[in-house]
This record gives sequence, C-alpha cells and structure tokens, in this order.
Amino acid sequence: MRTKSIAVAATAVTGSLLLAACGGGGPASAGGKISDGKVVLGLLNDQSGVYKDLSGPNSKVAIQMAIDDYKKKYGDKAVAKDIEIVQADHQNKPDIANTKAQEMYDRDKADIILDVPTSSAALAVANQAKAKKKLYINIGAGSTALTGASCNKYTFHWAYDTAMLAAGTASAVVDQGGKNWSIVYPDYAFGQDMNKSFTAAIEKGGGKVQQSIATPFPNDNFATFITKAQSSKPDVIGTMAAGGDLVNFVKQFNQAGLQGKTKLAVGLMFITDIHNLGVDQFQGTQFTDAWYWNFDDQNRAWADRFKAKTNVRPSFAHAGNYSAALNYLEAVQAAGTDKADDVVKQLEGKKINDVFLRNGEVRAADHNVTHDVYLAKVKSKDQVKEDWDLEEIVKTIPAATAYAPPSGACKM
Amino acid sequence: MTAFIQYTLQGLSTGGFYALSALGLAVIFGVLGVVNFSHGACYMLGAVAATVLLDTLGLGFWAALPLVTLLMFVFGVLMERLLVRWLLKLDPLYNFLLTFGITLVLVDLVKRRYGVSSLPYQVPAGLEGRIDLGSLSLSRYQLFVSVFSVLVCLAVWMLLTKTRIGMIVRASTEDAERSRALGINVGRWVTPVFGFGIALAGLAGVLAAPFRAVNADMGSNFIIVLFAVVVIGGLGSILGAVVAGFLVGLVEAFGQAYADRFSQVLIFVLMALVVLIRPAGLFGKEEAA
Amino acid sequence: MSQQLTQKVDVELPAQSVIPRARPALRWLMLAVGLVVVLALPWFVYPPVAMDIAAWALFAISVDLLLGYTGLLSFGHAAFWGASAYSTGLIAIKLGMPFPVAVVGGAVVAMLLAIPTGYLAVRRTGIYFAMVTLAFAQMLYFLANMWGDVTGGENGLQGIPKAFFGVELVETDAFYFYYAAIPIILIGVFIAWRIVNSPFGRVLVAIRDNPARARALGYDVERYKIMVFVLSAGLAGLAGGVFSISHGFASLQELVWTTSGKVVLVTVLGGIGTLWGGPIGAAVVVLLEDRLASSGFNGIGIITGTIFIVIVLAFRHGIWGTARNGLTSWLNRRRIKTGQRL
Repeated sequence: MRTKSIAVAATAVTGSLLLAACGGGGPASAGGKISDGKVVLGLLNDQSGVYKDLSGPNSKVAIQMAIDDYKKKYGDKAVAKDIEIVQADHQNKPDIANTKAQEMYDRDKADIILDVPTSSAALAVANQAKAKKKLYINIGAGSTALTGASCNKYTFHWAYDTAMLAAGTASAVVDQGGKNWSIVYPDYAFGQDMNKSFTAAIEKGGGKVQQSIATPFPNDNFATFITKAQSSKPDVIGTMAAGGDLVNFVKQFNQAGLQGKTKLAVGLMFITDIHNLGVDQFQGTQFTDAWYWNFDDQNRAWADRFKAKTNVRPSFAHAGNYSAALNYLEAVQAAGTDKADDVVKQLEGKKINDVFLRNGEVRAADHNVTHDVYLAKVKSKDQVKEDWDLEEIVKTIPAATAYAPPSGACKM
Repeated sequence: MTAFIQYTLQGLSTGGFYALSALGLAVIFGVLGVVNFSHGACYMLGAVAATVLLDTLGLGFWAALPLVTLLMFVFGVLMERLLVRWLLKLDPLYNFLLTFGITLVLVDLVKRRYGVSSLPYQVPAGLEGRIDLGSLSLSRYQLFVSVFSVLVCLAVWMLLTKTRIGMIVRASTEDAERSRALGINVGRWVTPVFGFGIALAGLAGVLAAPFRAVNADMGSNFIIVLFAVVVIGGLGSILGAVVAGFLVGLVEAFGQAYADRFSQVLIFVLMALVVLIRPAGLFGKEEAA
Repeated sequence: MSQQLTQKVDVELPAQSVIPRARPALRWLMLAVGLVVVLALPWFVYPPVAMDIAAWALFAISVDLLLGYTGLLSFGHAAFWGASAYSTGLIAIKLGMPFPVAVVGGAVVAMLLAIPTGYLAVRRTGIYFAMVTLAFAQMLYFLANMWGDVTGGENGLQGIPKAFFGVELVETDAFYFYYAAIPIILIGVFIAWRIVNSPFGRVLVAIRDNPARARALGYDVERYKIMVFVLSAGLAGLAGGVFSISHGFASLQELVWTTSGKVVLVTVLGGIGTLWGGPIGAAVVVLLEDRLASSGFNGIGIITGTIFIVIVLAFRHGIWGTARNGLTSWLNRRRIKTGQRL
C-alpha cells in the first residue's frame, strides 16, 4: 500500500518535471499559464437599443472570426486552446453594464471585456476593470475621458473618440474652402466637447465659427435652430446631433431647402444611420469614419466573410471588435499567459497593421489606439452600386493629425 | 422685426402640429376620464405604419393618411374593448397605469420587429422645399402640416358642437346621470370616442413621418411635451388643448431663438406658472377636491 | 364634470381598510422571515444585484407612501432618487465623507428639492399630480444633462468611493458592502413603517379616502400632502444614495422618466398600500432584468409590460396583496372548519 503510493508520487513528479522541461521550449505548451484552463472573452454591448445595428449581436460573429483566425494561425502552438465568448445586453444602462461587468469578471471568469457603447456605461466598466485588474477594450464609446482623467492600466480605447472625429471633419472641410461655420450642438457633455474640438480645429485651419448654438437634448424640433444657424449665411453648418436627433435635424434641414445649398458637416454618424434612412436624406454630407468596408481589397475581403455569416456589411464597430479580439489573443500568445499584467505589457506601444488598424499604435501613455481614419462623403442615389455602397472616401486622415496627443489628465 | 415675424410663423406652424397631437389626448380624457399614456406610442405606431405601408405595399403619404388613421381607429376600438373598458369604473389612475404598460409592450414589439434605427420616409411630392415671402421663409411641408392640423381641429370642434352625435357625446361627459335619465345610451359612445382619439394620435404620427425621425422611441419624449400641453390647456378641454398647443409652439420657437438650450425647459416653466396661477389649466374647470 | 367623475369612481386603493390585517403572531413571524431573507440574500443572489434589490425596494416603498397611503401617484420620483444619487456622489468625492454620511446628505438634498415641487404638485390631485411630477422630473433631467461640469453629463458622475472608516473589505468587496449598507435601507423601511402606523399616517389615509371630510375635520390637507411628499422624497433619496455608492457612479439613467415609470411598476406589481409589496416587486423586477440581460432575448418591455397589464387588470392588490388576501381567507375558512369539527 505504502510503496504503491510512493511509486505513484514518483511517477507524478517525474511526469511534471518532464512536462516542465518540454515547456521550456516555448510558451505554446505552458498549459498551466492560462487561468482556469481557458480564455474567456466577454462581449458587453447594446443588443436591443440604439446601438444594436452598429455593433450588437453581430459583434459576436466578428469576435468568433478573430478566434477562428487565431486558431488557424497557430494551430497546435496556440497558447489559448480553449477560447469562449460570453455576452450580455446592457441596454445602454450604466448600472446594468456595471453589474454585468462584475459578473463577467468574477463568475464567468472573463479575461477581457470588449465593446460597451454609451460612455457612462463604458466608464463604469473601465472602473471595474481597474478594480478587478482585468482587461477592457472599448470599441463602441467615444468619450475622451477613457483615455483622459478616467484612464487606467487595464483599459484600452480602440476605434474612435470625439476629438478625432472633430479634428478629422473640421480640418478637412476647412481645407476644401468651407471657411465660415455655424455649429448646432446638443447641450450635453458629448455635444459640448465636440463643439470645443470643432471650433479649435476650424480656427486652426484658418476658418471662422460665426455662431455656436446649443440645443436641448433630446430634441425633436430644430426648425428655428436651423433658421438661426442659416441667418449668418455660413458656408457650412455643422451639427453634433447623433442618432434619432440627427435624423430629426437632417430631415428638417432638408425641408428648410438647404440641402445642396449650404454644406452640412456631421460630427458623429454611423454607416448604419445612412443605411437605415437611405442616402437621399444625407447625400453630400461629410463626416469622419473610423473604417469603411469598401475602402480597399483587404477590407472588402473581410467584409465578404462577415456578410457570408450575417448577411449585412460590417460597420467600423464590427471590424473594431474583430481587431481588438485578435490583437488581444496575439498578445496572450506572445506573453504565453492570459495574466492581465503580462498581456498589457505586450499590448503597450505595439504597432499594428491589420484589417481595421492602418498605421495603428497602442499608445503606452494613455492606451489610446491611434490609426488612420477617413473623411467620408455620403453618395448620391445614382452613385450607389450595391447594397451598403454608401460612402465615398474623400481623404485618408493620417493617425498623427487625427488624434490629439496624450492628455496630461491621464495618470496610469 | 423680420426675425421676430419669422419666429412667430415657425412657432405657429409647430403649434398647429402640437395642437393636433394633443387633441386626441384631450378628447379621450374629456369623454372617458382616461389619461392615455400610450398616446405617444400610438403616435409612433402611426408613423411606423406609414413607413411599413410604403415599404411593403408601395402606398405613399396620401394613401397612408386615411388608411393609417382608419387602422389606428380599429386599434383603439380593440384596445378599449379588450383592456381599457374593464377599468373605466375605477380610479383613473388605473387606466393611466394600464396604458403605461401598453406603452412598454408596444415600444418593445416595434423594436423587435422593425429595429431601433430610424426608418426612411420622404416628404410627399409637391411639398418639398420652402416658400419665400420676401425675407421670410417657411418649409412648404411645415406649412402644410399646420394648415392641415388646424383644419382637423376645426372639424373635430364642429363635430362636437354642431352635430347631434357631438351633442350626445358632450352631454354624456358633462352629466352622465342626466343623459342616461333622458334615454341616451352613454356607454355606446365610449368605444368609438376612444378609437377616435387613438386615430388622431395615428394621424399625427403619419404627419410627423416626413419631418421627424421615425423609430420606436419617437413617442417617448413627445408624450411628456403633450402632457405639458394638456396640463396648460386644462385636461379634457378641447379648446384648451388647441390654444395650449399653439402657445407651446410659440414658446419653443422663441426659446430656440433667444434662449437656445433652455427651449425645452421653458415649456415646463410655463407649465409650472400655469399650475401656480390657474391650477386647472387655462380652460379647465376647477376641481372639487 | 369632475364631480360626476368622482361620483362614479369606486376608489379601490387597497390599504388596511380593504385588506384585513394579519394577526400579531403571524406578523412577527413574517417580520422574522423577512429579516432572515434580507440577511441571507447575498448568499443566494449575486451581491451587487442583491444591493440593487434592496435599494429598489426602499425606492418602491417611498412611492407607495404616496400612492398606497395618500392616494397620490408620483410619476416623477426619479427626480429624488437621481438628485440624491448625484448629491451623494458629490459629497463622497469632494468631501471624502464615509458613505453613510454621504447618503444622508443626498437624502437631505432630495427633501429640499421636494419642497418647491411638492408645493406646486399638491395643488392638483389624481392624474394631474402624476403629470405635474413627471414634468418636473423631466425638467431636472434636462438641467442635469446640461450641467455637465458638475454631473458629468452623459458620462455620468464616475468614481464614487465606498469610503467606510477604512474597513477595506467593505470598500472593495460587494458582499461585505451589502452588510454595511443594508442598515441604511432597513432604517428607511422602519421610518416608513413608523409614518404609516402613526397618527400622521392615519390622517394621510383619511385624506386619501375623503379629502373633503379631512378638511372639514380641520386638517390642513395641503400641508399634510407636502409633508408626506417631502418624507417620501427623503426615502427615495436614501435609496438612490445607496444605489449610487453601490455602483460607484451616478448617471442620467437615474433621472430619466422611465426610471420613474419603473418604480411605479415595481410598486404596483408588489402590491400598493402594503410595505411588503415594494420589496417583493423589486426582487421580481430586478432579478428578471438581470436574467434577461444575459438571455439573448431583447424586448424586456414586452415581458414587464405584459405582467404589469395583467396585474392592473386582474390582480390590483399586487403579488403581496393577492397572496395575503388568499392566505387570510384560507386561514379564516380553516378556522371555521376546525371550529365546526370541534
């Protein structure tokens, strides 16, 4: 009896020594370095509300594509063998996002949370990431606070932010000769930020903001605001309204007979907005997009794969989720573990070129992921060749001009 | 001065639309004593129905206008027969709560079926662009909406005051007991009146489709503005709803012109003032309690 | 017209007068069971969710104090819940106060806000009261949104600390935080119980049942209504403060009118005119929302809305009221039966 147990123990020790010896050869076989034996990716986003089409359930498809590509690339050498996705619908409510994020980290053993549109929800999740010392990569929210005062070691900001949108659109439109602006912005933090960023970018480019008009938010009726904006006879009217309010604004702008007469620049617009409403209402409108599916062959090839699974063309958020998930897995591969601190080290300062990020860099100072973005113009009906063929890329805005330098407010 | 006239014109044209939108709310309260929380959701259904008719059957704005109104009438009749009716004898709060529940269901049903993003709808042919009168200008469609709304309000007012049906309905609301004693079947009018109020909400929705974002949430904030309108006008008073509709339209236009960000808050300030000075609203009757 | 309406109205707001009160022994038993459930909750329910249930329970009780006991439907109670959530957060962040102090501070702000609102709102009854409170809450929402420097606008007020005299377990672990915060909720419930079972509470019920008679008896009806409105706002404030500390932030979600609607739904679902209703309604709604969020089903409104419609149509006493009615009539029948047998 006793000898037997010693024999068993001896075998076990030898076995583990052997395993350890093999493990020295490369991170690939370090099975014990993955917590709980698997890597869990948490997708927390809006699956029923206003951002459902922009990201929503189809982002899970995008993340699955990243997992497939990772497995295909590394095969047997993959550090993460068992990879799982958990998802939840935060309904754009920060309290639900907050609870679900804790649950994902604690109970589902999520190693990372992805997406989280709506800035109050994203900031709540960033705080949880900091408390739990696990990763969070934001794609859906645009608040600069994530890389400013509320930044932390475990939070990365992948796709777009409000400062980049403003810098891109405003400077590009001024370059095209749109010197005199009227800005109409909703009077809440996003709108106020956008107004400031736009004004700065316009003045830097030699343009002039004749008037900035604050509107309530939410708001259905813009009739008199538009009259007032037009009264100073500007070259461009810039609106910072988003979502349903943007649609209200554009419809009423067109009905005031201004479409085609005064240029319209939009602070924040998504391809799903244009697709749902049709190009007629928006045609000629200029805005900044973080990514466009039909920009080049690489994007198109990925979009074809995506369409085969979902029957729709991807938005920038879908591509962003794919890119974030894939680069996270690459970082796990390089680190040989899913330990958050090691993965963060791999990501910080990394230069990336993939289907989503061009000239991308994960800035170590504030964890903002900068990359080339695009000034887009909505096509007119006769230019549209196929479904989702909605944007004409006027110009590529290089990462360096699109993004503001790291803000001093961020202290990791 | 030109600017002043311009803002007044805009305020009046928005006001007409508000008057029409609040009218159904006032009619239903006047006759049934029900504050219909789902008025905003019915307005939304009207607009969504217009886009669906266009999308599936190719029926445009002019066909949608009567058709959706009729559909919403039927919907209102069903709603009254199946749900609202059972609570009419209780405290009006119960129907307020019931219609709140209906709102939740309707909004999420539309979200599931038609998504959450705004649906496309165009201005009907011939009403695009604007009309210029010297230095004044007004969107052609906006003008159409306000004139049309005023005509509908007038027609409803005529219906209620000049016709026999209207007289019976009014008598029933003002003194149900005596009307009953005179041999009038009060209950008979409850269902059609409710349907009529819902139909008016649907009509407002169709009118809104070309110039407002059409989505499941379009009624959520609108209903609160409409509540402010009927509180200002005096609940149940049709004249009150119409006058308050115009008043709120004007306050909003001038608010946008001279106090931009506060234009919505001003509506609630106006309401607070009215409640302070005339608790029953401008045209409402004083309550006993 | 309105006089005619009041005549045909058969007031069916349940309270002590409608539902027979349980016997003392049974009441003590219920109280004991309730306490055990409250203390055991975080063992069975994810602790942050348990905290949400407790906060929503007190919030619903505050609404019920108006609706069930005074006959006033506030459709703008999010104003007080939200105002306290923000004030609590600001006190905790700027002054570094321990969280119980911050929560009390938040409740005081909510009560101060309730004075002018109540003054205007109680001038109207019934449905007008609902609409006026709704409009005021909406006004506050617009103002908070604009006042981004203080409230953080749509980013919300983030990073609210759970400072608790340096006890680290409470400050970092949601499980222990629950036990540190639950006394605040229980004190709130106790205050509500005291109000309801005091002479003041009986005047409220009298006002609800017949305001004209109460006035004739010499009670200043308006003043009583303002007082209960302010007290109710204070309780909503306690609940909102605990909620924001528990989550570590306050957001505009706390002020939007759908939150006012949700708390009315919770109250009516649990059963109005009974202090047990709020907690039961809160448990049902919060747990339902939590499950549905991970279920992949979108359209929570379809479910909650349908339940609500059914409750309003068929079970107006709510879950608790219906269960209690059923229980008491069963007990009575049994007593009669056994009596006959003897």
